[in-house]
Parts: sequence; structure tokens; C-alpha cells
Amino acid sequence: MITLGLDIGTQRVKAVILKDGAVVSRGQAFSGFDAKKAAEEAVAQALNLANLNRQDIAYSVATGSSMENAPKTDSTVSMMGADAKAGVFFFPKARTIIDIGAEEARAIKCDEKGVMMDFVINERCAAGAGAFIESMARALEVKLEVMGPLSLKAERASPINASCVIFGESDVVSLIHRQESKPEIARAVFDAMADRISSMVHRLGVNPDVVLIGGVAKDVGFFASLKRKLGVEILVPEFPDYAGALGAALAAASRAKETQK
Amino acid sequence: MKNEKVEKKYIPEIPAKEIDELKSTIQASSEKIMAENIERMKKTDPKRPQAMKYFDEISNLFGQRQRELAAEKEKGKKIIGYMCLFAPTELILAADAIPVRVNSGWYDTSKIGDRVVPVEVCPVIRSTIGAKMIGLSPFLEQSDALISVLTCDGMTKLGEILSDYKTIWEMNIPRVKDAPHSLRFWDDEIINMKKQIEQFTGNKITRKSLKAAIEQSQKATRVFRRLQDLRKGNPIIMGRDAMLVNQAYLWDDKERWTEKASALCDELEKRAERKDWVCPPDTPRVLVTGTPMFWPDSWKVPNLVEEADPKGIIVADELCSGERILNDPVGVDEWTMDDMLNAIGERYLMASTCPCFTSSDGNEDRINWLLNKVKESNVQGVIYYVTRGCMLYAMEYTRVKKALDKINIPMYYLDTEYTREDVGQMKTRVEAFLEMLTARADM
Amino acid sequence: MAWEYIGDILRLTVLGGLGAAGILTVLLWKKNLATKITFLRLVVQAVAFTALFYVFSLKLPLLYFFIFIFAITLFLGRFYCGWLCPFGFVMDIEVMLRKALGIRYRILPERFNGILHKLRYVIVAVFLALPIALWFLQPPQNLNFADAMAKLLAGPFRPYTALIDPLIPVVVPWTSNAVNVAHINFTYPYVQDIIFWAGQNIGEAIALVFIGLTLASSFVFRRFWCRFCPTGVSLAVVNRFKGFKWAPLLHIEKDEEKCTKCGVCKRVCPAQVTEVYEQKGGKINTSMCMLCLRCAEMCPYAETLKVNIGNKTVFKSRNWLEPPKVE
Repeated sequence: MITLGLDIGTQRVKAVILKDGAVVSRGQAFSGFDAKKAAEEAVAQALNLANLNRQDIAYSVATGSSMENAPKTDSTVSMMGADAKAGVFFFPKARTIIDIGAEEARAIKCDEKGVMMDFVINERCAAGAGAFIESMARALEVKLEVMGPLSLKAERASPINASCVIFGESDVVSLIHRQESKPEIARAVFDAMADRISSMVHRLGVNPDVVLIGGVAKDVGFFASLKRKLGVEILVPEFPDYAGALGAALAAASRAKETQK
Repeated sequence: MKNEKVEKKYIPEIPAKEIDELKSTIQASSEKIMAENIERMKKTDPKRPQAMKYFDEISNLFGQRQRELAAEKEKGKKIIGYMCLFAPTELILAADAIPVRVNSGWYDTSKIGDRVVPVEVCPVIRSTIGAKMIGLSPFLEQSDALISVLTCDGMTKLGEILSDYKTIWEMNIPRVKDAPHSLRFWDDEIINMKKQIEQFTGNKITRKSLKAAIEQSQKATRVFRRLQDLRKGNPIIMGRDAMLVNQAYLWDDKERWTEKASALCDELEKRAERKDWVCPPDTPRVLVTGTPMFWPDSWKVPNLVEEADPKGIIVADELCSGERILNDPVGVDEWTMDDMLNAIGERYLMASTCPCFTSSDGNEDRINWLLNKVKESNVQGVIYYVTRGCMLYAMEYTRVKKALDKINIPMYYLDTEYTREDVGQMKTRVEAFLEMLTARADM
Repeated sequence: MAWEYIGDILRLTVLGGLGAAGILTVLLWKKNLATKITFLRLVVQAVAFTALFYVFSLKLPLLYFFIFIFAITLFLGRFYCGWLCPFGFVMDIEVMLRKALGIRYRILPERFNGILHKLRYVIVAVFLALPIALWFLQPPQNLNFADAMAKLLAGPFRPYTALIDPLIPVVVPWTSNAVNVAHINFTYPYVQDIIFWAGQNIGEAIALVFIGLTLASSFVFRRFWCRFCPTGVSLAVVNRFKGFKWAPLLHIEKDEEKCTKCGVCKRVCPAQVTEVYEQKGGKINTSMCMLCLRCAEMCPYAETLKVNIGNKTVFKSRNWLEPPKVE
């Protein structure tokens, strides 16, 4: 059975093709103004890599924050549901899934079957999402990919105004004047984020194993800060940014089975 | 009535032209929203009961009921408004006056209320202030006096703010209701209110008139419980329809409401016999609790629940704008004036499960009521709806969550505002929650 | 001789007929569900009153009644207080009169009510102690135990007088110690003992005051006598012992989760019992409840208050959903 999962995110569209419970290929494209076009691009990429055609797909499911802008799929699933499925797929003992996207963060509690039992979303505060890292990287005049390794060099975090990210940017200038080093400021950024995320996760209850997915999961700096703050082992899958799409593809597989019955 | 020339304590001066503009814009948009909500409810249930037609009409806040109240006022009847469910409506009815609840459900007026109180204040309060400032609410405008029960902080100050426009009668409510002196105190307040109403309307509340009023409200309670019972089984009526019926009691003529609601129950019973369910019986059954949801704009969340994919159905609620209105009858033992007043006092104080109460044994009756409702109506998930600024419900959340965790019922904290901007975000959450319920039910 | 038997049969038939007719009336015709049990109880009380009159005319030893009360208390709690006691019937007639006149009842302050409850034990203790004291005050004679007991039981203050005096119906079939008015013999609990103890004239005066006070109080405070009636004390005493925690079998059962603490049960209780309201679910333990079932009748939530014999429910509170059934 071949299924397709689409994750229509605010920045990028991700696609995953699943065949009989294993990932065959992945594709992605920048969303821009036309999510539909980007989705088609991503799907085409994945199909190409897998040497498949559109007709080979038995069932497709879309998820993501901009689900309504997606091209027609067989059905949709919530991001939380997709995350839970993906988390358990990667790590069968996963019970708490943390998904940090570009603009929002989510935490999901699930059981061993990947069924979500409770969830918490924070899309109001940008200081808990990838956009914070981007804006602070700009302020520090470093490349986004550098932020992580840079922060690992610091022994302590600078005191930054963690209440609102809007102030964070203008804070950077005064911090540099005060002889705070860039690694320390970078670390402060990740610590502030980890703070936000961990208080959100605590609302759910921290149940091991804890899995981190989403684009920001690849960032070593954030990973280190979150591990410190939560105080537990955190598992990160191989391609965490595709977790949503993978979860959607898994949902497609189980739904296809349902309709076949 | 307050002398308009007396300096207002709270309300700033607003040019009349601005008031007129705001009023006409918001009224027009509100009429559209009300019509839209009705259309949406019709769409969800194509075989909507015929009896709902009456409630659709009476739900137009600017329509029939406004005209009827104006006509009654011409005849000399007094209209007494109230904000909280503690106001003793039986006394008002016995004095041949008309009780009407005046809380505002208009999102747009909350921005006008922001000129008087900060945004952190409960939006229901801000919206009511705004509605008064532009004279939007027909019920608020036509009220000759308002009963302000000092329950939560917002309500306490709202009375004071509205005293810039209207005669306000405060009723102190003891926040620990278990103590015998609390009930004595509240009984005194009821007697005081009785005298107040008699003086204001010029009508004496006699044993006969009070008995008639109490019997009328007992009749209404019976019909109400009938509707409640019908909702306990397989889905027979969409939650929003039932919520509208319940809420219509707050402004409708009580006798007529009883009649029409009874007809609705008859129709629903026939529907149940035919097993003509309004949606598949395995639709996730949701209970809503929290800050009251006033018609029309606060239908935002119920709309999302019942039109989501996967769909859910609201089978019960613990809202003072919903099932708390008529849940308890006035239990009269001997029909003497004193006993009737005692019975009224007790029904309004003791039977209420508003979170404004507390007690050393932890306000258990409120939690028990919720648990009982969850079990009786076969509820699969609870949506805890809190508008930002509602301290009481927000603070009680952890307690209710623990109690529901014990019986393994999921609950979601939905925190929103009087705004249409966050419909997208609310939709995500509601749909995820419903998805979760469906998945759990499948297991 | 034959006439006596025919008289007996006639009385029994009339009794049975009245009872049946009354019960039928109540169950079929009483529309207001909130007072159905109350009316049934009145009918049963009337039947019991008449029946007791008839039984007393058989002149059975009063000791039998004592044993009967004790046994019935163990199994049915103070059921007899609410449904069979003739003095209770008198008080309920007073209530009917009061309601007809439109006068409101009053309630005793909780503390005073508590003191009255304790008074029960005092009265019983006094009555139990007196005969023993009297026996010791008399010069000792060579009596064996049986004779001594016989003397004790035959004396003026039989120990169990205190416990069953209220059972004597106000209208009695005998003439000794009764006041005859228009060929009807009236008596009143404890009057006999007061007159014996205080002498004829003073005794009668005290007795009249006693009668007046208790009747007047019962007019205003519902079931006033019951609060310090020593007849009901046997349950309270027995319940304290671990082995008897199951007593009584007939009791009120409360479902804590369904209870909304609306307080109606506390307000309508004629004996001002607060345990139904205050106790958190399960079997309600109280030595004052007379099982008049007013609380269960008035409770507005279905199956919150149940009347159970052991585990079986015989009556439960109903949902106010039911409209009055019009035949």
C-alpha cells in the first residue's frame, strides 16, 4: 500500500511517501504565496525520487497549519494527530512529542499506539518558535545555521529580555555594548525558548520517552538548552522536519485500511 | 431613572453622531451574524424540528421581542433586567413586571467597552458596557431597573459602572453558601429585594401571585428537564439548537417559552421513536463548561464544534447561559409567603454551582454536578471554555481537570476572547480535540 | 357473646375498609406527586391509630409493646415514629389544622434542638433509675429474684413506662386514669405518672400545663415531642455498638455525586434532621429521622435519596421532569 502525506507549513511544504510502513522518499518546497503550487512541487519531487506516479498513491492525507490551502487530498488530519503517529513510528516508546515549527510550538501526549491523549499549542508567543531564532540571528548578524554551534561554545547565557521577542532584537545592541559575547547571547536565545517550551510541556506532564520534532529540532543549540531545562533524555529522529508529513502518511495508511474493510 | 445631567462616574462623553454610527453598523452586522448562525444550524440539521422556527424568530434580539417589550412598557409594565442568574425572577413575575437578562454577546461592543475598562477585564463585562454606551441592546435599553448580584469581580463593578445610566439594585451574595448564617443573610436580601420590587412597580406581591409565578417556573423547569433528558440518548437535536432554546428563556415570555419548548420536546420524542438521529450515534459527544456563551457572537466555538471535521455534538453544558438557567426547581413545602420566600432564596443560593462560591470542603457540589452530567449524558470529552479575564473559571481549571482525569475523560482548555480573529486557531484546536475523541472511541 | 364477636368483626371490617379506601385514594387520585407519600403516611397513621385502640382494648401486658418497639426499631428504624405512632398522628393532625389556618411553622435553633435530643437520655435514665432507687429505699425483705423482679415490674414506675407511654393513643378504651368527656376516654402520655408522683390536685395542674405546652409547641414546631421522646432512644443506644451498625435495615441512602446540596431536604424535614444534608453519601446515620420521607419526596434530583431495606430500594427521589399525571 502506497500512501502520501503532505505537511503544509507556513514556510515550507513537506511531502512523504510511505510504502508498506517504510519511508520511500521525501520532497519539499517553499510555500511562498501559493501553497498549492509548492505542494505540487514537493509531491512531484517525492514521486520522482521514488519512481512512482500520482496514480500509484492509494490514499493521501494533508496536515499542517495552512491545511485549507492544500490541494485536494483524500482527507486531513490535525497536526497533533500526525505528530503523535510520527513520534511513535520513530521511537516506539515515545509518549511525549514536542513539535517546534517556524511559528508555533506544540506538545502532544500519546499512548503506545500513537493515539494522542492530550495536547497543548502555543501559537501566540513567537518566542517559542523558530521565528525567534531567525530574528535573533539577524540581529546578531550571523547565519541561522551558525546559531546552534555558536551557542554551544558559551558557558553561560546572557541576561536578555525574555518577556517578548520584539524587544529581544533591540536588546542585542545594548548587550554587545556591555561586552556580552555572541555565543553567550545565542545561548540565551535558546535558553529562553527552552524555558517557554518546557513550561508548555509541563502543562501536559513530562512522560518519557520525550521526542523532539519539527524544523527547529535539527538545531544543536536548542536541543542542548531544552535537554538542560527539561532534565530528561530527548530523542530526535533522522529527519525531524518531515515528521508531520510522515504522520499524515501513516494516518493515510490506517484510513485506507478502514475504507477497504 | 437617573438624571442625565448628573455627572457620569465612569462613562466618557461620546458625541451622539458617533453613537448612532456605531449602533447602526454593529446592529446591522449583528443581524447578519444572527441570520448566518441560524443558517448554519439549519445546514447542520436538514431535518431540523419545525418547532425551532419559533425560536429562530424569537432569537432575533432586535425583532419581535423588542417590540413586545416596548408595547408592555406603554401599558405601564416595568421591565427589570439582571446580569446574573441569582436574581429572583419569580418575585419579578409575581409583581407583574418582566424579567430579562441583559448580558451582552456582541463581540464588537467589547472594543467600545475598552474605552472605560482595560482589556484585561472579562470581555462579557466590556461588551455589556460597550453595548450600553451605544444603546445597542434592546433589553438593556428598555430595562427600568437592573438587579446587580455581586458574584465575580467583573459583575460587581459592572453594576457600579452601569449606575451611570440606570437604577441599580445590588444584591450581596455570601461566597460560602454552606454556613447557616449565609442562607439567613441571603434570605434577608431576598426579602429586601421583594420590598424593592413592590415599591418600584407599585404592585404588591401577594401569596396568590407568588404561588402562580413559582408554579409557572416549576412548569418551565419540567419542560427544560424533559429536553435535557432527551439529549441524554442518541443525538436527537444539535447542541446549538438546544442551547438557543435554553437561552431564549432569558428574554422570552416565560409562559410562551414553556409552551413552545414543550411542543419541541413532543416533536423530538416522535423523532426518537422513529430513530431519526440528527447525526450518527458515534459522533463524539462533547460537554462545554466555563464562561457563559451569549447569543449571537459567542456561537463561535459551538459552531466550530458542530461543523468541524470530524464533527462533534454538544450534548450538555455547564454554562450559566445554558443548562444552569432552569436546572433547579423552587421546592416549596407549605405555600405560605414565608416558606415561598425561603424556598426561592434557597433555590437561588444553594442549588447554584457558580464557581464564585467556595467552601472548606472545596465546593464539591460543583464538581459532582459536572461529573454526574458527564456520566448521565455519556459525554466523551469536555471543552473548558474560558474567556481571557475570567478568573474564577481559569483558576478552577486544574481542579476540574484532576477530577475528570480520575474518570478518564479528556478535557481541553480553550482560552479565547471576544474576537473573530482567532477562529482559525480555535478551529485547529477544536478539530484536534474532536479527532482525539474519535480515535479514543475507536479503540 | 355472639354480639361481641360481631362487634369485633364489624370494627375490623370498618378498619380494613377505611384503610384500603384511603390508600386507593392516595395512590390513584392524588395528583401532586410531591405530597403523595405524605398523604399515604397520614392514612397509615390513621389506620394504626384505630388499630392500636383496638389492640389496647385486648388489655395485653405493656411489656409486650416494649419488646415490639425494641425489635421494630432494630429493623425499621424510627419507622413507627413516622408511620404508626398515635401521638405522631395527633401532631400531624395539628399540622393539617395549622396549614388550613395559613400559619407558618417555626424552627428551633440548632443548639436548642441538640439539647432536646440529649434530654431523651436524661428522661430514660431517670425513669430507669427511679424504680431501682425505690426498691433500695424500701426495707430489704427476703425476696428471691423472681419475686423481686415482679415487685419491680408491678411498682408505680415500671422502668419501661418511659419508653412506651407516648404509644398510648390519646383516645383509650379503658376508663382507669382516663378523663371521660362525652363518653370518650381521653388520656395523655406521662399524665398518669405525673399525677401519681405529684399527688392528685397538683399533679393535675402540672399535667394540664404539660399538655398545653406540648400541644401548643407541636402546633408551631413540627413534631416537637419527637425531638425529646424517649421511646426513640433505643435506636440511638443500640447503634453505638459495633455489632449493630447494620441497624436499622430500613434507612435512607444518599448518592453523594448526584446531590447538589440544594438544601431542600434540610428545610422540609419536620424533625430538623441535618444529617441527610450533611453526611457525604451512603447510609444516613441518624437517630432522629422518622422516615416520614418528606426529604425524598421533595428532592428534585432522581435517585439521589433512596429509601432502602438492606440493599433493596423501595422508594426514591424523582426527577421533576414528570408532569403531574392527570387522569
